[in-house]
Amino acid sequence: MAATKVPEVRDITRIERIGAHSHIRGLGLDDALEPRQVSQGMVGQLASRRAAGIILEMIKDGHIAGRAVLIAGQPGTGKTAIAMGIAQSLGPDTPFTALAGSEIFSLEMSKTEALSQAFRKAIGVRIKEETEIIEGEVVEIQIDRPATGTGAKVGKLTLKTTEMETIYDLGNKMIDSLSKEKVQAGDVITIDKATGKISKLGRSFTRARDYDAMGAQTQFVQCPEGELQKRKEVVHTVSLHEIDVINSRTQGFLALFSGDTGEIKSEVREQINAKVCEWREEGKAEIIPGVLFIDEVHMLDMECFSFLNRALESDLSPVLIMATNRGITRIRGTNYQSPHGIPIDLLDRLLIITTSPYTEKETRQILKIRCEEEDVELSEEAHTVLTRIGMETSLRYAIQLISTAGLVCRKRKGTEVQVEDIKRVYSLFLDEARSSQYMKEYQDSFLFNETQTPSMDTS
Amino acid sequence: MAVQSWIDILRLSKKTALIHDGKRKIHYLFTDGKEMAEEYDLKTDELIVRKWRHKSTLGAHGQWQVEIGEPPADSVTSSDADVIKENCSNPVFMRRDTKASFQWRIRNLPYPKDVFSVSVEASERCIIIKTSNKKYYKKFGVPDLDRSQLPLDGSALSFTHANNTLIVSYKKPKEILTLEQELLRELKKLKGTGEGDVDCKTQ
Repeated sequence: MAATKVPEVRDITRIERIGAHSHIRGLGLDDALEPRQVSQGMVGQLASRRAAGIILEMIKDGHIAGRAVLIAGQPGTGKTAIAMGIAQSLGPDTPFTALAGSEIFSLEMSKTEALSQAFRKAIGVRIKEETEIIEGEVVEIQIDRPATGTGAKVGKLTLKTTEMETIYDLGNKMIDSLSKEKVQAGDVITIDKATGKISKLGRSFTRARDYDAMGAQTQFVQCPEGELQKRKEVVHTVSLHEIDVINSRTQGFLALFSGDTGEIKSEVREQINAKVCEWREEGKAEIIPGVLFIDEVHMLDMECFSFLNRALESDLSPVLIMATNRGITRIRGTNYQSPHGIPIDLLDRLLIITTSPYTEKETRQILKIRCEEEDVELSEEAHTVLTRIGMETSLRYAIQLISTAGLVCRKRKGTEVQVEDIKRVYSLFLDEARSSQYMKEYQDSFLFNETQTPSMDTS
Repeated sequence: MAVQSWIDILRLSKKTALIHDGKRKIHYLFTDGKEMAEEYDLKTDELIVRKWRHKSTLGAHGQWQVEIGEPPADSVTSSDADVIKENCSNPVFMRRDTKASFQWRIRNLPYPKDVFSVSVEASERCIIIKTSNKKYYKKFGVPDLDRSQLPLDGSALSFTHANNTLIVSYKKPKEILTLEQELLRELKKLKGTGEGDVDCKTQ
C-alpha cells in the first residue's frame, strides 16, 4: 500500500464573508416561542420576534398557502434581521428567496414575470430521482503535485468492491474534496457521479486490525458487494422555478445558444403545476411551501401589487414576507397616498408586525455582537462612546465605525480599540446628519446648485 | 406484453430515416417521449449502433445511453474535467451483435481465460461476468429479451478470450430473429432521405 499523501488544505468553503446580517443565527426564541432578550444574534424587538415566531410555526406546518406578512418600522430597527432570522430557523431544506423591491424592474423581463419567477423559486418540491453513484472501498489514493507548486494536480483513485476493482482519474475539484474529507486507504466512500459529492460511510472491517489512532466515532462497515457503479434513488428538493427552466429550454442544438431563459411561457407553468399535483397525488413528490421575502416593498408599483393580490390566492403560493420603512406615502405608479405605500386592499390581507427603535442597552448589546462577528476588540470606554454615537446618529453608522476603527487600531499596532480610534474614524467619516449639515453650509460651491429640487423622490 | 406488442410499439413510433455514410440511420420517437436511434450497415444489414435517450423525472433531456455499439469518445466532456472519470486502462464494455447472436466485448482484460466465469441469473434476468482474481465484475441484462419478454437460457451462452478481450455471446432465440427480420423489412420500406438535412420532428 502506498502511503497516502493527504495534506491539510485550507478549508475554502468555511471562509464566509461578513455581511450586515451574518451574525443572525435564528429568531432567538425558546420552545414556548417566548423571545429571549439576547439570543442567536438577536437583541430586543421582543414583540415582533414573538410574532415572527408564530409566523415561523405556520410556515413549518406547511399547510397554509398564500399568507402575507408585512414587517414595518423605522430604518435600522431590525426588519431585515427578523426576516433573516426566519430564514435561518427554517433550515436549508425550506426554500427561502429574498429579493429587494427594485430588483424586479429589469429591461429583459416584465415585472410580473420577475415576480412569478420569485414566487416559484420559493416553492420547493421534494422528489426522488435516480442518480449514478460509485460506492467502494478506497484501495489507494495517489496525488501528484507539479514540482513548481502551481498548475493542475493529477490524481488517481483505486476503488474496490468484494468483486472488482477500478482505477479512476481525478480532476482538480475532486482532489480538493477528497483531501478535505480526509479520505484515506481503507475508507468506504460513495461518490455522486453527477455532482462529485463525496460521503464517507466508514472504515472497512478488513482494516479494523490496523491499530491506527482513530476516533471513538469511527464506524466500521462491510466492503460493498457487486459492481462499483450503481443507480440509486435519492431524494432532493428542487424549486418549481428550476423545473420550469428545465422544461422551457429550447431543445436540440438551439439550446447551445440560449444561455438565458428569459420569460417562461404560462403554458409551461400550467403543465408543470398539473404534473406536480399529479406527482403529489401519486405520492412521488411532496410540496414544500417556502418563504418569499421582498425587502423595500414600497418600491413595487400598482401593477405589482395587484399581481400580488391575485398570486396570493393561488394554492401553490408561498408565505410572503415584506418589509418597508415608509410611512404614509404615494403608491408608486399612482397619485394616491396610502400607508407604507401599499394599497389598502393588499394591506387588508396582511399581518403587520412593527419594529420599534432600539434602547441604549440594546444598541450596546448589538454593537458587542457585531464586534465579535467582525473580530474587533473594543475597550469599555470605546464601547460606551460607540453606543452613544449609535444612539445619536444611527445604528448602521455605529456598526460601520467598528471595522474602520478596528483597522485604525491595527495600523497603530494596538490590540484593543480605544476611544481615540473611534474619535479618529468619527472625524474621518461623516454620518448622515453631519453630512447634511455640511451640504447646507456649502451647497453653493457644489455643481448644479442652481436647480433646486426639494428632495429625492423615490416613491 | 408479448413479442407482438414490442413490434407494435415500434410501429406506432414516429420514425425518421436517413441514409448517410454507408449507414441507414433511423430515429424513433415513442409515444411516451423516449427516443431511440439505430444505425444499420447498408451492405450487410448489420445493426451497428442502438442508443436511447430518456427524459428525466423533471423533464430534462438526458444523455444518449448506448445499448449497442461504441460508447462516444469523451472529447467534448473536457468541461467536466474537474470531476471523476474512469482511467483509460480500465476494462471497456460494449455490445456488438452479429446476425446470429448478441455479443458483448470487454477490452483491456489482460487475464488468462480460466479467471473468468460467465453465468446466467435467470431470476434477476441478467448475465454475470465474474473474475476469480476479483478484478472485474459485471452484471448486465439483455434488453432485447426483456422487451420481448423471453426467458434467459444458460445454454445459449458462451465466451472466448483473445487479445486482452473477453467476448461473450448469446445465441439469439428464434422469436428475436423473426422479429428483427420483420423490422428490417419494414425499415427498408421507409423512404430514406439521402444526404443533407431532414426535418427532424423532435427539434
